[in-house]
Amino acid sequence: MENIVFYFLEALILLSALGVVLVTSPIYSALFLVLTMIGVAGIFVSLDAFFLAGVQLVVYAGAVTVMFVMVVMLFNLDKEKKAFSKGTAGNFLKAASVGLIWSVLSTSLLYVFSDLGKEDLPRLAEGSLAIKELASHLFLKYVFGFEVICILLLLVIVGAVSLARAKGGTHA
Amino acid sequence: MPDLSQYDVGLSHYLLLSAMVFCIGLVGVLVRKNTIVILMCIELMLNAVNITFVAFSRYQGNNDGSIIVFFVMAIAAAEAAVGLALIVAIFKRFKEVNIRFFEHLKG
Repeated sequence: MENIVFYFLEALILLSALGVVLVTSPIYSALFLVLTMIGVAGIFVSLDAFFLAGVQLVVYAGAVTVMFVMVVMLFNLDKEKKAFSKGTAGNFLKAASVGLIWSVLSTSLLYVFSDLGKEDLPRLAEGSLAIKELASHLFLKYVFGFEVICILLLLVIVGAVSLARAKGGTHA
Repeated sequence: MPDLSQYDVGLSHYLLLSAMVFCIGLVGVLVRKNTIVILMCIELMLNAVNITFVAFSRYQGNNDGSIIVFFVMAIAAAEAAVGLALIVAIFKRFKEVNIRFFEHLKG
């Protein structure tokens, strides 16, 4: 059963990721991106990371994609429909080199990590204890990184507003 | 009844899925010319990395990978916000979001 769910989620993620890349209209790319994020949240659930799955749904499938859709909505992008790169030969070269990277990556992964199965899974804390453990990690062990992220987010708020506001609002 | 145990999901399945999603995102970043779609493909790549982190953290039995995923999510949201603000600025200047208008940065 777990296997069936995993393969279903894998197919969902891969097909919708291909959709993001191949579909010409940016709004459909954004919708396929939502589908991919939901699949990734399902993968997190299958890895017992329930809280992360929730955060994934709220932050990615909710907030980030809404931001993309808002920006797509602001512009009139009819001319952009056919805008892949100019030469097909260049595209082919790029895709082939990424395929090479992929083959090297996957063969090395299979070579190194092929022997860990479900029976090797360590036991985790149950239910709310898992979240408690996560929180104590975040706020005790990694509290410095947490503070740095806070400062980064503050900077990003100021930077994004000042970038988008330069010379009069969002109206192009 | 054929033996199906070779199809049981293990760590390598998650890593392979992550590698594939990462490479799809990479192809998108390289091939697409629409800047908004390029940002979406970067989000795809970050998600692939998140899958790797969560899978390793589950199979190692410690929570450090999950914390890194939190940080990656925060940085991805920040990157999307700044990137989209840049796209808005670019669109106001050029009336297009095609990446070939910014090739004079290529050198």
